[in-house]
Amino acid sequence: MSRRLQLNTLRNRIIGGGLALLAGIVPIALIAVAALGIIRTTMRQELGVLQQVAEMTNGITSSVSDEIRAAEEYLIAPSANDQRTFRDAAASVYQYQRQLSAIPDLSPKERDAVTRIGTLQAQVEVDYHYAHVLADLGRADSAIAAAAEARTPTAELIAAVNDIGAGQAARSTATTNRLVAAATRERSIVWVVLIVSVVIGLGIGAALVRSVDQPISVLVDAAERFADGDLRPVHVGARLPAELEALSGAINRIGSRLRGIIGEVIGEGSRIAGTAGDLSAVSEELAATAGEITTAMVEISEGAERQVAGLDDGTRSMEQLGKAADSNAALARRVAQLGAEIHRVAARHRADIAAAGTTLTDVQEFVERSAAQVEELERLSLAIDDFVDLIKRISSQTNLLALNAAIEAARAGERGLGFAVVAEEVRQLADSSAQAADDVTETIRAVRAKTGEVAATMKAGRAKVGGIGQAAHGVTQALDEIVAAVGEVEQAAQRVVEEASANAKATADVVTVLQDVSGAASTHASSAQEVTAAAEEQGASTEEMAAQANELSQAAERLRALVEGFTV
Amino acid sequence: MRISGRLAWPALVLAVAACSSKTAPIAIGLAGPFSTERGQSMRDAAELAVAEINQAGGIHGRTLKLVVRDDSANAERAMAVARAFYADPTVVAVVGHLTSGTTLAAAPVYNGGDTPLVEISPSASSPELSSAGPYTFRVCPTDLLHGSRLAAWAFDRLHAKRAAVLYINDAYGRGVRRVFERSFTARGGTIVSDDPYLLDLPSFGPYLRLVLQRGGADVLMIAGTQAGAERILPALKTVGWSPTVMGGDGLTGIEKSSVDANGVYISSAYLPDRPGAANQKFVAAYAKAYPGKMPDHRGAGAYDIIHLLARALEATGPDRTKLRDYLAGVGTRTPAYDGVTGRIAFDSSGDVPDKDVVIGVVHDGHLVTAGGQ
Repeated sequence: MSRRLQLNTLRNRIIGGGLALLAGIVPIALIAVAALGIIRTTMRQELGVLQQVAEMTNGITSSVSDEIRAAEEYLIAPSANDQRTFRDAAASVYQYQRQLSAIPDLSPKERDAVTRIGTLQAQVEVDYHYAHVLADLGRADSAIAAAAEARTPTAELIAAVNDIGAGQAARSTATTNRLVAAATRERSIVWVVLIVSVVIGLGIGAALVRSVDQPISVLVDAAERFADGDLRPVHVGARLPAELEALSGAINRIGSRLRGIIGEVIGEGSRIAGTAGDLSAVSEELAATAGEITTAMVEISEGAERQVAGLDDGTRSMEQLGKAADSNAALARRVAQLGAEIHRVAARHRADIAAAGTTLTDVQEFVERSAAQVEELERLSLAIDDFVDLIKRISSQTNLLALNAAIEAARAGERGLGFAVVAEEVRQLADSSAQAADDVTETIRAVRAKTGEVAATMKAGRAKVGGIGQAAHGVTQALDEIVAAVGEVEQAAQRVVEEASANAKATADVVTVLQDVSGAASTHASSAQEVTAAAEEQGASTEEMAAQANELSQAAERLRALVEGFTV
Repeated sequence: MRISGRLAWPALVLAVAACSSKTAPIAIGLAGPFSTERGQSMRDAAELAVAEINQAGGIHGRTLKLVVRDDSANAERAMAVARAFYADPTVVAVVGHLTSGTTLAAAPVYNGGDTPLVEISPSASSPELSSAGPYTFRVCPTDLLHGSRLAAWAFDRLHAKRAAVLYINDAYGRGVRRVFERSFTARGGTIVSDDPYLLDLPSFGPYLRLVLQRGGADVLMIAGTQAGAERILPALKTVGWSPTVMGGDGLTGIEKSSVDANGVYISSAYLPDRPGAANQKFVAAYAKAYPGKMPDHRGAGAYDIIHLLARALEATGPDRTKLRDYLAGVGTRTPAYDGVTGRIAFDSSGDVPDKDVVIGVVHDGHLVTAGGQ
């Protein structure tokens, strides 16, 4: 079923409530209009009759008065004008009397009076006319006597007109009473319908507010919990209007997505911390190895210096004691012995250095893996951005919905006041959601900044590890050269030992050879010093790497602290 | 004791007895001034018609019954009579009233309320009656026709140039007077005087003397009734004036009164010597029922009305509204009724425009059609 047709939506509940109120108000309006119509019709009819009757009776009264005045004047001083006025006035009395008689709504008493007016007018007219004829005949006294006859019917005529007037007054009172009664009755009906409508309207309003208020407060609590970092699911409980159901679902989905993301961030943070710890341990091991190398090199250097000193002594002894070949042989043996010692030390340390190189390769792998994980973290934070956008869109739509609801409520007038409050609550909820989304954005931005730092640190660490590797490689090469040189010394010393006793003559050559050897030994010493410098440099790099691993570890710790703010 | 009572009631009683006792008679009201000759004439003819109908088997086996109420030709009394008829649910129609004044006064009663009642006048000729209401009918021409026919007779046939008018001061008198004067002056005649009277006028002498003082008149037009004429005719002798006297149908009856009315011209919608088999049969039956009497226009009108009502009741049954609707359609939806007074076909005002007026003249106690018509 489409949302438009569902009863369980705020929109349709509001429309339904409005229609229910309309259903109450429309009959009231119709009853009032109908009552007004009836009252207006009755008034028009009754007033029309009253007006007509009043016109007729006024006409009769004034015509009778004209008639009598003209008749009396004619008796005093006969004139054709008076005679005409008398006849015309009499004729108009009959005319008014006929019109009065034609009014259908007269009471029997009024109708009798109207008929009596005709009869009496006829009497008055005849009496005066007879008097006029007598006057025309010159019988003035008789004329006056005859005119006196008209007085009685004239008085009765006026009385009959007054009777009609009294009847109309009574009719007017009766009409007023009837109208008042009708108005009272209609008012009672309107009151009853109005009260029933108000009760129904209040009931609908209360039900609407109750059905919205409880879920809204639950949702508001949930939004506040989210804002505080508590991302546990929202349970509304009661059956909700469709819009709030949708809102509740959206909030729960937001919570669910956030919980997933935060869980992953925490996992990643822990893994980074672990990696940083490993890196630190390796760095320390490396530092220790470098220390050993340095110590060994110092020993080599000292040995080489001693060799040089020995060779110098040998050269001098060869020049001074050319003849003492035995001494030379002994010296040569001493040289060979020293060379073997050097060879042995160098071989031992070359293995150590090779072990250190392997360790460095491991470190490099760790660092590269950490870099990849940090990049993954950055990618995840981008996904969070998308969800935050979703939240913002939902809250924006909710805000719009709340605005629409507020407009609808305003249209409903006073009866929409309750819902206007609800609409404001919904709007505030939307604002809270938007605020929470902004907070999340801020948090993610902080996480990303930290992640960036970690990535940079990782890159630097990788470069340092590379440097250390090169240095280690240099050391190995130098040691190889030392071993080779020492081998040559050994061989030379052996030849000295072999040839010293047999060839004294060759002593000069020996001296030369010894000088060469001395030069080579010097070379050995400087090489050893280079190795020492390289080893020291390696130690410094290792320390730097250890510091960076520590920094990485601290960053991972801060990340953990950040996500620990969320309850999932 | 009335002759009609002796003759009609036994017939009615016989008719009722012949009828099934379980069906009540259908009541028709009869309203008029029955203590006067003209009222009696109306009642006699109505009772004759009822007796004829009942003898012929009534209306689908039910007899007709007349409910008679006297209005004394008085408008107020006529209203009381009308209310009594109106309130009696058994009365389905009223024959009456006789005069214009009473018929007009009663018309609002008959036409008002929820159960209006038909009134059909045999002789109320006031033009005002045309607009009295849908339940008011008449079977006679209006005063317009009487007044103009009399004026034409006076000017064209009697060659009268000056006319004096005496009129009874009621709706009838004023109506006839107005039309007569208008028609007479339109032809070139002069109205010397027009004087209103009521029956309590002390004397007609002064009116007549003033006419003489003004040079006299060729005709004296009496727009009034028999009672007025019975005083005016002797007064003429008293003042020594003998004009040609004429009057409307209100004067009918004067021919039989004790005063000398020979030569008086009277307009009438009906004269007993009217040609036609139906009229001859009616006059014969009337003469048989009321020996020595001749029907007048009121009686003939009432007779036709009763027979027309019988025809309507045959078609509609005793229902006031249906009866009225049937009557309104006589001459249009249903055929016109050819009665003793001529053809009755109602127009939308309840008048009979097809009917004409003839001039009668009093001759030895009878009203006969004047020569040359």
